[in-house]
Amino acid sequence: MANEELIYRITRAVYGRLGAGADERAVEQLVTDIYRAIEPVVTTNGDSASTTGSASGAQGERTARGAGSPERLIVSVFGVDHPGIVAGVAQILAESECSIVDINQTVVQGKFAMVIIADMARAGRSVTELKERFRTAGERLGVRIYAQREDLFNAMHRV
Amino acid sequence: MEYTQAEILQTIRMTEMEHLDVRTVTLGISLRDCASESIERTAERVRAKIEQTAARLVATVDEIADEIGLRVANKRISITPASLVAGAARSASDCVQLARAIDEAAGHVGVDFIGGYSALVHKGWTDTESIFLDSIPEALATTKRLCSSVNVATTRAGINMDAVRRVGELIKEMAERTREQGGLACAKFVCFANAVEDNPFMAGAFHGVGEPEAVVNVGVSGPGVVNHAVRHAPRDLPLDELAELIKRLSFKLARAGELVGREAARRLGIRFGIIDLSLAPTPAPGDSVAEIIEGFGFERAGAPGTTAALALLTDAVKKGGAMASSAVGGMSGAFIPVSEDAGMIEAARVGALTLEKLEAWTSVCSVGLDMIAVPGSTSAETIAAIIADEMAIGVMNNKTTAVRIIPAPGKDVGEQVEFGGLLGTAPIMPVNRFACADFIRRGGRIPAPIHSLRN
Repeated sequence: MANEELIYRITRAVYGRLGAGADERAVEQLVTDIYRAIEPVVTTNGDSASTTGSASGAQGERTARGAGSPERLIVSVFGVDHPGIVAGVAQILAESECSIVDINQTVVQGKFAMVIIADMARAGRSVTELKERFRTAGERLGVRIYAQREDLFNAMHRV
Repeated sequence: MEYTQAEILQTIRMTEMEHLDVRTVTLGISLRDCASESIERTAERVRAKIEQTAARLVATVDEIADEIGLRVANKRISITPASLVAGAARSASDCVQLARAIDEAAGHVGVDFIGGYSALVHKGWTDTESIFLDSIPEALATTKRLCSSVNVATTRAGINMDAVRRVGELIKEMAERTREQGGLACAKFVCFANAVEDNPFMAGAFHGVGEPEAVVNVGVSGPGVVNHAVRHAPRDLPLDELAELIKRLSFKLARAGELVGREAARRLGIRFGIIDLSLAPTPAPGDSVAEIIEGFGFERAGAPGTTAALALLTDAVKKGGAMASSAVGGMSGAFIPVSEDAGMIEAARVGALTLEKLEAWTSVCSVGLDMIAVPGSTSAETIAAIIADEMAIGVMNNKTTAVRIIPAPGKDVGEQVEFGGLLGTAPIMPVNRFACADFIRRGGRIPAPIHSLRN
């Protein structure tokens, strides 16, 4: 299935460069060409997520870095906003040699929410130890920190 | 980000607030190679095999649960029906010896229940099985973790009414032997029609004869999740859309459960069997099947229309599960254990939910009359007759039905019996007072229905 979100973004970028007066058919052709060029790369990543998710028996074959990997953790942090929450959580990840793959953080009406995707492939600690550190840090920072393996989200939300 | 904030929040809400959990990871173990010429030797082999096969079960499953971030409430074991390996038993006390060995092995590996002290006697019993049946009350009264079941009927064989009658007497004996604990032994015993060979849920789990050497089966639950969704849906949402909503949720629950099951199987080096997606309530607030049904638009569970609602619920759960995984098996539907469900306890207390309505429910839900306490004065024949009714529903409708009933010694309607933990609190429910003993005393067999002739 074509990645509609990606096509939309390419289209927007092309229009951004060529201006709103650009020839519609030329833009369409250009977007199609660009999408075809990058499609193999995009779908390999995307498919490895969905196929390994559905045939979860093949977990051992998953690449550590692919989406839906058992090597990745989704760390979610919720609470009342104050300075130092991101730093506190990031420090624990850094000390455990987990790299941050993706991070998304917002504050709405004083409520802090952050989601981090962390790669544990080279982690020096077990998930249990890491979670214990998050628990104590959460108490100190006054926030709730949840850490769950990414393949749980992949199983539940991706087909 | 690969997942939207809404998706991440939904998962966290389910696991942290709505009691989504894997209710049980059940390791099925074949004991067929343990039978031997003396009961002592059989017991020793059984003990060794259970302890060896399940040695890493609890630690491994706990580790996976922690990593994935999905609670696994129970770790359990199911075994080959013990009557099949008890050929060397010469008396009921020989069988009890085997029962104790099984129970001790279960304690040793740290599981809370082990199921399979069972016999399949739907068409008749062997000499060993007859001795074995007599041993069940003592076996359950003198062990902690052992669960027992007897299959007395199948659609292909009909109903063995001699077995039904005997089970009625056994249940009375179990209650009497555990009088001090409110008849606790009865809560660990199930009588089945069309028993399932790969059911991971207690008390009815056993490792069927068609199963491999060892297998990991998973029971996923999530009444809390479905309850939350039903209650937050618009009050005037048409039922087909409500069914769709439940189906989508069950899909997600099944996928999460399968992830845990396959990972456990991989790490234990044992085959993955099935995932049983059943809405199994717990006494925790909101984690209730009765409340889901009430959320459809009823004042109380048991009101007219609730059988239809339960039919919709069970079917939607099955459909969602079937779409999510090709390994869906076991019961897969909705459980209605009265004492384990806060909503049902309340409905029974106020008189909304009766034994008769529960019986009607069992024709559309996944199992049967479950965790029902009745007055201690209820006769063995009446209990057998209740079982016969339930077996008939299963046999005629080609489905599994079961009875787990507790004639609470010394208690009467209006009182309740406390089992504690997952088994909960059972209000004593009234039983129809008219006699049925002559029917039960006839014995014999209710022939298999015409639709059993399918070849």
